[in-house]
Amino acid sequence: MASRKEAPSGKSLDSPVRQIQIEGLVRPHHQALQGSEVVQGVLLGLVVEDRLEITNCFPFPQHTEDDADFDEVQYQMEMMRSLRHVNIDHLHVGWYQSTFYGSFVSRALLDSQFSYQHAIEESVVLIYDPIKTAQGSLCLKAYRLTPKLMEICREKDFSADGLKKASVGYENMFEEVPIVIKNSHLINVLLWELEDKSTAADKHELLNLSSSTHLEKSLQMLMDRVDEMSQDIVKYNNYCRSLSKQQQQKHQYIQRRQQENAQRQSRGEPPLPEEDLSKMFKPPQPPPRMDTLLIASQLSTYCQTIKEFTSQNLGKLFMAEALQGTSSYS
Amino acid sequence: MSRFFATGSDSESEESSSADEITPKATGTTFNKNKEAFTTNLILCCPLRFRFEELTNIIKTIRNAMKIRDMSKCLEEFEQLYRAFLKSKTIVDKEGVPQFYIRLLADLEDYLNQLWEDKEGKKKMNKNNAKALSTLRQKIRKYNKDFETEIASYKENPEQSAEEEEKDDIGSASSKSDDDDDEGITAKSLMKKKPQEEEKKAPEASKFLKGAADEESESDDDEDSEDWGSDSVDSGGESEDNEGAAASLAVVFLKKAQDGDKQHEPKKDGRRKRHKKIEQVEEEVDEDGEAEEGGWEKVKGGVPLVKEKPKMFAKGTEINSAVVIKKLTEILQARGKKGTDRAAQIELLHALSGISNENNLGQGILVKIKFNIIASLYDYNTNLAAFMKPEMWKKCLECIDELLDILFENNNIFIGENIAEDSENLAISDQPFRVRGCILTLVERMDEEFTKIMQNTDPHSQEYVDNLKDEGRVCGIIDRLLQYLESKGSTEEVCRIYLRRIMHTYYKFDYKAHRRSLGLQGETKSEQDQEESEGEDSAIIMDRLCKFIYAKDRTDRIRTCAILCHIYHHALHSRWYQARDLMLMSHLQDNIQHADPPVQILYNRTMVQLGICAFRQGMIKDAHNALLDIQSSGRAKELLGQGLLMRNMQERNAEQEKIEKRRQVPFHMHINLELLECVYLVSAMLLEIPYMAAHEFDARRRMISKQFHHQLRVGERQPLLGPPESMREHVVAASKAMKMGDWRTCHSFIINEKMNSKVWDLFPETQCVREMLVRKIQEESLRTYLFTYSSVYDSISMETLSEMFELELPTVHSIISKMIINEELMASLDQPTQTVVMHRTEPTSLQNMALQLAEKLGGLVENNERVFDLKQGLNRHNFISNHLNLSFSHTDQKGGYQQKQNYQRGGYRNQNQSSY
Repeated sequence: MASRKEAPSGKSLDSPVRQIQIEGLVRPHHQALQGSEVVQGVLLGLVVEDRLEITNCFPFPQHTEDDADFDEVQYQMEMMRSLRHVNIDHLHVGWYQSTFYGSFVSRALLDSQFSYQHAIEESVVLIYDPIKTAQGSLCLKAYRLTPKLMEICREKDFSADGLKKASVGYENMFEEVPIVIKNSHLINVLLWELEDKSTAADKHELLNLSSSTHLEKSLQMLMDRVDEMSQDIVKYNNYCRSLSKQQQQKHQYIQRRQQENAQRQSRGEPPLPEEDLSKMFKPPQPPPRMDTLLIASQLSTYCQTIKEFTSQNLGKLFMAEALQGTSSYS
Repeated sequence: MSRFFATGSDSESEESSSADEITPKATGTTFNKNKEAFTTNLILCCPLRFRFEELTNIIKTIRNAMKIRDMSKCLEEFEQLYRAFLKSKTIVDKEGVPQFYIRLLADLEDYLNQLWEDKEGKKKMNKNNAKALSTLRQKIRKYNKDFETEIASYKENPEQSAEEEEKDDIGSASSKSDDDDDEGITAKSLMKKKPQEEEKKAPEASKFLKGAADEESESDDDEDSEDWGSDSVDSGGESEDNEGAAASLAVVFLKKAQDGDKQHEPKKDGRRKRHKKIEQVEEEVDEDGEAEEGGWEKVKGGVPLVKEKPKMFAKGTEINSAVVIKKLTEILQARGKKGTDRAAQIELLHALSGISNENNLGQGILVKIKFNIIASLYDYNTNLAAFMKPEMWKKCLECIDELLDILFENNNIFIGENIAEDSENLAISDQPFRVRGCILTLVERMDEEFTKIMQNTDPHSQEYVDNLKDEGRVCGIIDRLLQYLESKGSTEEVCRIYLRRIMHTYYKFDYKAHRRSLGLQGETKSEQDQEESEGEDSAIIMDRLCKFIYAKDRTDRIRTCAILCHIYHHALHSRWYQARDLMLMSHLQDNIQHADPPVQILYNRTMVQLGICAFRQGMIKDAHNALLDIQSSGRAKELLGQGLLMRNMQERNAEQEKIEKRRQVPFHMHINLELLECVYLVSAMLLEIPYMAAHEFDARRRMISKQFHHQLRVGERQPLLGPPESMREHVVAASKAMKMGDWRTCHSFIINEKMNSKVWDLFPETQCVREMLVRKIQEESLRTYLFTYSSVYDSISMETLSEMFELELPTVHSIISKMIINEELMASLDQPTQTVVMHRTEPTSLQNMALQLAEKLGGLVENNERVFDLKQGLNRHNFISNHLNLSFSHTDQKGGYQQKQNYQRGGYRNQNQSSY
């Protein structure tokens, strides 16, 4: 597999990084990737002009219960120092995470990406889907938070109004950065050799027609998200209702007070003292909207994956049909 | 004097006060009657004495404490007294509050008030005493409120009490010292007192034959007062004796002369004394040692008893109806008053009826007296919850029977509630008798008493069976009255008695008619004859009676009950369609909740019977529906009036519980609850299992029967599954087998020895029911099998199916056709090969999921719209939380509402399609 170039998306990115170039070295290094556990690791590299070159990486160690006092920071520093000793780029430029069926949009991801981007402006998160890759299509994506979202995260204002002011929708939470994979010649040679050796079945994994398990899984997850979303909506709905009810009460109260004051005035009495309205009518706690936003974003990711998957599969199905047709004719 | 006389004099001594006029008649039987009298006396006396003795002892202690001003002791004793008084409540109820008790209460209050006023004394009192004083004062004040009238009446003649007070000590001293040899005096004094008492409160002294002796006895007072004072203690017991012996008063008149003697020379007549001694011997037998009484008698004085002393006729009085009626009213006046001995009253009335009978005073009076005897029999128990004693009950039945005999024999007696007391015609004359009273009410009351007796008897005892034997008599009486009223009574009365009749018929299974309908004739000729002679089928009777009520009744309640009983009876005899139609026509379902609880219980019973009937007929669905309400509540026992549930004990108080207890249906009318539950569960199984199989993937699947599911879950939770033991386990095991389409196992679980003995054998047509069940199990198993395994087959031969389920080919064919028509089974029948060809139309799991997702999304959109509406309603152009719709379509904030909606809908549909 030669280096592949992702078509740069049409959007103009106003971030300092417009393109990511990944060394072929970076990818296949996790033994645990096929497992169901999510693995994470650190990306190392450097920024050249508007291009972020990722040249190496190392995984975070898997946590276990018994070494709870393991110092991660210490480990990272140690790791980077060691790498520098062997003359490898040791600049921290982001992190990577594995995912399954595209379920990566979560609060945790948001938070850690925010802290990365906050500290190292050019940092990215690489999302890698091992299952899909195993099926024959490489799935590697780089994301960054949009400046707007960065703004909100910095202010920690996740209320509905705050999100509205920042005009952040689910669609402009993350920006995808195009990826270019560049391999050294040595690796290219290796790949050629490997391709020669590999069997036909391995090569044509891509043409596998069975689709239902994948779709079912995706649907299942999509459904779960939809349920969550429903709950959130109901919560929000309740909040809106109680808010408006209170608003009404407040309004009535003010009116009553005004009337009374008017009467008192006409009788020449002093008006009633002002009371602290906000104390009397404590507005209900607005539900945080960020989670909803994330769910929406996740939903859209799912839809994207499913759409992609189905279109690919349809193509395969047509191809299979055509093949069958010709074989039956002959 | 002969022993005979001695006994006589004993009874006389008591009689002398209570009934001085003696009927000349009873002489002959004196001796026997006397014997009887004092055996009863013995019985009646003992508890009474015991209780009163207890009371008097406490009172004595209190008085002593009062004297030494020991308040705490006083308080303590008072509380004890109060408890003792409560214990003797039954006797007090019967006898009235004893005078000595009232006196103590009054005195104690006075004394306390006096102490209270005495500030000086109070100061001197120690702390304990002062505290006790105030508590006691409050207590007695509160307590005395209950006895206000008595205390007031006591206070009206305080001089008398004062006198007694004085005598107390003397009395005690003398009676103690005299105990041995002075018995005579006690006895004598006993006699002395009565006349005086009599004089005091029986102003109609004109009847009093001993009028002459009155002054005498009064003059005696001074000498004797210590004795008679102490005597009154006994008065309760004595008066009992008097009344108990009232019937036997015949002897008394013989003694009169002697009596007079006695009073003329009260002290010195030695002969009399000797005689008295003999008397005393008798008395001892009778009164359980009068002598001992001396110890406690003296404590109290003889306040006049507020007691009506019944009298019989004087010697030589011409017994005519007027006199008898007068007597009767006299007796009746005592009715309901405190301290009237009801047992004695009944005796009196019996005696009176005997007298009137012997004098041939005519049926009118007899009827009247009978009415009153029965009424007072009912009155005997003051407590509504208590039930009649067996002997009372027997007596009551006899009386009613006799009354009916008279009524049948004499056509010229009119009875009715609306005949006024003064327009009665009881004397023999040309005119027909007119008597006030309502036999129907009496019989109804009798019926209720019967129910009460049955309710209060242990249903598993021989006693219950014995009591139940009386039902024949009750029914007989009702039947006779029914005949009587049919000729004489008004429609309303006829309706009422008809309902009584119906109530005794509806729950009984008519085996005779059942056998006849099966074509089974009696074994022998004679039996057959007997059968025929036994009259019409209960069905015909029910029909006739009910229809009369439907047509004539004007009170809604009787009609409702009649309808329900009618339905019940139909259902019991498996006339399902009649029962169902009647139920539907009556529209009782709509308004039964407004009826009173007994009718509701009847309704529940009817519904249950209807359900069981439907089950027997193989209408499983109907059976299930009819039983659903009763069974789903889990309170079937309570709803059918067959027992109280323990769990809501805290929700009801004792009063409510009593009421509920009174509503219980007697045991012999119970519907077997296990049978009911089994029928319900089996019906539910037959419905639910195929339904579950058919809707395995349906997210919206609803349970048909919650209870059945509950049982299934309980079965699943079992860690170790042994062979089924209980009825429920059997049904659960059968359900599991049925789920797999294994009808043979299912069958063996539902119908086997255990289940037969527990449930199925209880049906009259056991065999039919079992056959029906087997068939149903086969059919439903077939359906379940097809639902569950149709996806495995491409086609299946009907012949195979018919073999598998041992059903005939046409049946299999019809079941499958029905399933195809109802779109339950996606298949078609292939006629030539006799096979069922399956069509794959069931959605795959992916498709199912897509459908589910679509549904969820629909809900989501709805929710979202609601949010939007809210915003819209508020007219605020706020941020519209639209990130959700955005999963379908991109909407920017400025987008109009309308446009967005369209987007949503469209997007949502597209989404669905794309995910297929």
